[in-house]
Amino acid sequence: MSGMVNPASEPRRVLVLDDEPLILLDLEFAVEDAGCKPLTALDLVEALQIVQNNAISAAILDVSLGQGQTCEQVARTLAAMGVPYVLHTGDLDRMDEAVRNLGGTLVPKPTPASVVVARALEPLAERQA
Amino acid sequence: MHDNNSSDSYPRNSSDQAHTAFDSSVARFRAQHPEDTFEGASGVLFEQAMAQTRMAICLCDPHVKDMPIVFANRAFRHLTGYDESEIVGRNCRFLQGPESNHEALTRIRTALSNEDVTVVELLNYRKDGTAFWNALHLGPVYDADGKLVYFFGSQWDVSDVRAARADERHARELARELSHRMKNMFAVIGGIVNFTGRVRGIEVEAREINDRIQALGRAYETTLDDSHRGTVEVGQAIRAVLAPYDPDGTRILFEGNGLRSDFASVSVLGLSLHELAVSAIKHGALSQEDGTITVSWKKNGSASEPAIRIDWIEHGRGLDGLQSSLRTKPGPGDGIVDRMLDMARGGIVREWTQEGLRAKLNIPLRENVE
Repeated sequence: MSGMVNPASEPRRVLVLDDEPLILLDLEFAVEDAGCKPLTALDLVEALQIVQNNAISAAILDVSLGQGQTCEQVARTLAAMGVPYVLHTGDLDRMDEAVRNLGGTLVPKPTPASVVVARALEPLAERQA
Repeated sequence: MHDNNSSDSYPRNSSDQAHTAFDSSVARFRAQHPEDTFEGASGVLFEQAMAQTRMAICLCDPHVKDMPIVFANRAFRHLTGYDESEIVGRNCRFLQGPESNHEALTRIRTALSNEDVTVVELLNYRKDGTAFWNALHLGPVYDADGKLVYFFGSQWDVSDVRAARADERHARELARELSHRMKNMFAVIGGIVNFTGRVRGIEVEAREINDRIQALGRAYETTLDDSHRGTVEVGQAIRAVLAPYDPDGTRILFEGNGLRSDFASVSVLGLSLHELAVSAIKHGALSQEDGTITVSWKKNGSASEPAIRIDWIEHGRGLDGLQSSLRTKPGPGDGIVDRMLDMARGGIVREWTQEGLRAKLNIPLRENVE
């Protein structure tokens, strides 16, 4: 994972969005392990604020955020900014068609946090190479 | 002409309509429409068929204004609760009510104007106001010269069929929701184990525990997707458990049929195969670039004591002396596999060949829980 750290500047910022705090905590550790700076969001509002106020390099988005909310708005915003993201979901079948069509990498739940983070950072390594 | 004879008063939904007495409405129709009745044997057959069928049937006359019903058999009267005098002379739409579907009505009108044969499901109402789902089969009746004489309508109450379909849909949605929640639950448990390990400085142990929990979760995933069955397809569970160790799907080959067993056997099997895979990654076929593993499963044992037999065969390069002496000693994962299978009243036999490990796993098959 050391190849993921950009030595010339600050660590990369990774947005992590999940409505489940315990999963968020696990992913936060895993992002740190990968040498990046995790910015965590429990809901849509927090996530959109983070995206507005920070230069994000990659993102891990839980698809279903409870109460009928999905991460679609965040995904659209990131896509428009050219920021790569993975969709982390426990129900690929039922996933909203609109979200699926956004074209993020799908990572089924449960997947070990280190693997989720590695998938999220893959596009960055490819760009560097 | 009020049709109030006793044969009309038996309860609706009677399952024994086949032996009811002569249906006088058929005779009346024949008397009033002598030009349309069959002669001789055909006539008798027509009469008996109309009288005895449990299929509600009516004929409508398209040459009279508003296409009134000119004939309705006994089954029709029983289905709808109306007497013959209340049916004949009226258009079929008197069966419609507030919730009748406009799209269905449009399809009926289109079929009538095109003289098509069609089946439409629509909500109809009985005389007592109760609604029923009517599978209406309608079409034209032509005379010998090909001239349209009637439209027939046959009605079948499909309320029960529709309810069963809805129940099935509901059960499937429930299973899916359950599956979704279970996956989330395993993800949360994984998170807890991981960060606890980190905080306590035992990441390696935590990962070992978590890998077992997640293997168990994968074995169960398949059970939830068809939870209504009560049993699990063994092959599906095996594939799900081993999937992460072969991301490209080229290293592990599966051979087996649609054998099913109960959840408890499958969880032990899943965990055992997980341990074998972990050890193959460390120093077995999956540690070598071109090594593969064949996993096959089949029903084994006697009729009274059926068992699931799994063969785990590694195809790697031959082990040299040092490696093979190392491998004949049981590793930590081996002990756990032995104890789990023992506890499930099964067992494992390991053998190391030139190509690597060959293991035979046995576990009682419990398939009769359905």
